Amino acid sequence: MAYAQPHPRLSVVSNSSQSSVDHLSPTTTSTRFSLPSVPSTHTAVSTKPGLNRPNIYDRNLNKTRGSEVSGAAFAFLFSEVVQYTQKRVSGINDLERQLNTLGYRIGTRVLELMVWRAEGSSKAPKREIKLLSVLMMIHTQVWRAVWGKAADAIERSVENPDEYMIIDNDPPIERHISVPRDMSQLSCSSFTAGIVEAVLDGLAFPARVTAHNTPNAQFPNRTTILIKLEPSVMEREELLK
Amino acid sequence: MSHHLFLLSPSDTPLYSLTHHSTKPVPSVTSPLASNLPTWSTSAFAGTLTALSGASSATQHTSGGAVRVGGGQDRHVIQMIANAGLDVIEDVMRRENTMYLKSVDKFNEWTVSAFITPGNMKFVLLHEAKNDEGIRQFFMEVWEVYVKTMLNPFQTAHTAIRSSVFDNRVRASARKYL
Repeated sequence: MAYAQPHPRLSVVSNSSQSSVDHLSPTTTSTRFSLPSVPSTHTAVSTKPGLNRPNIYDRNLNKTRGSEVSGAAFAFLFSEVVQYTQKRVSGINDLERQLNTLGYRIGTRVLELMVWRAEGSSKAPKREIKLLSVLMMIHTQVWRAVWGKAADAIERSVENPDEYMIIDNDPPIERHISVPRDMSQLSCSSFTAGIVEAVLDGLAFPARVTAHNTPNAQFPNRTTILIKLEPSVMEREELLK
Repeated sequence: MSHHLFLLSPSDTPLYSLTHHSTKPVPSVTSPLASNLPTWSTSAFAGTLTALSGASSATQHTSGGAVRVGGGQDRHVIQMIANAGLDVIEDVMRRENTMYLKSVDKFNEWTVSAFITPGNMKFVLLHEAKNDEGIRQFFMEVWEVYVKTMLNPFQTAHTAIRSSVFDNRVRASARKYL
């Protein structure tokens, strides 16, 4: 066995579990663990000696194209994200803004990777330059890339022509979240709003994107992502007509 | 024959630049004026004349290190041409929905080609010879390594790219296609 000691990059959780196993059975060697994740880490490391740090440039970008993330793992991670953020902010608005910022970081990457996967092998890769096709792309492709399903509806506001709404009847991000009564204004889909904002920003349609709870009898988790485009975008759209 | 590549962030901050000297032969006919010139191989003025006409075929005379007359080979001139090209690029990218914008601008012997990623990152390439297909493939490879760079959580759209692996990859692509 190449590593008698647990690998330094193992998390604290697996280290403690290993010591508890050691405590229970004194004959345990490093190859015997109760957690399946630990031996798998060892084999991964031992098959590639001297390559502890995989090079990101050697990875194929399409390798994880169809792979899915465990919903439970994501719910756990996202709950930690929300709790971590909540400790560091004052008020609901601030919390939503922070979640938006975190989502924005995801969104820039989602956009670049998603389009690369769609257009990377094409002879003449295309960018979306029309507002409506960008919104449709967010509604279907971005949603499918991030949440595994298309959004349920896309609407244009009747009162304000610069506002568009993307509606998700049951956002996976909120499936395991129940917001306390005194924070009923909070929508954790602000994270999704950040992703949408990044995609719009990248394609040169700067906008302010917020998330709002709009429950109805059938869908208690129904969420509206409200897109308010900046005046410059509307002026440009007018000129293009 | 040299190529100059600039990677510019959405706020036009330069994140990476590369100067590549191609070993490939220069196509003899690049300028209509040059093609009309007689071949004064024995004349003492031959080198100067071809250089003035803006022809790249002057390289055979200047390969000894002579300064080319009228050519923007200085670093600051190159940067100025690349930045001047940005105005044209921003204009064209509103109308064209392709990522690869070939030959958007020209200045003396330099042609400016660009590639706009979906995240509004601009790859600007200054080149002398027409090589649309090669440049397209070069841009596609740069795009792929750029996407890989972007996926790094420590990388933002505004931090300079200092990875040596990135540098090597781009250089390898440049050798292959330019």
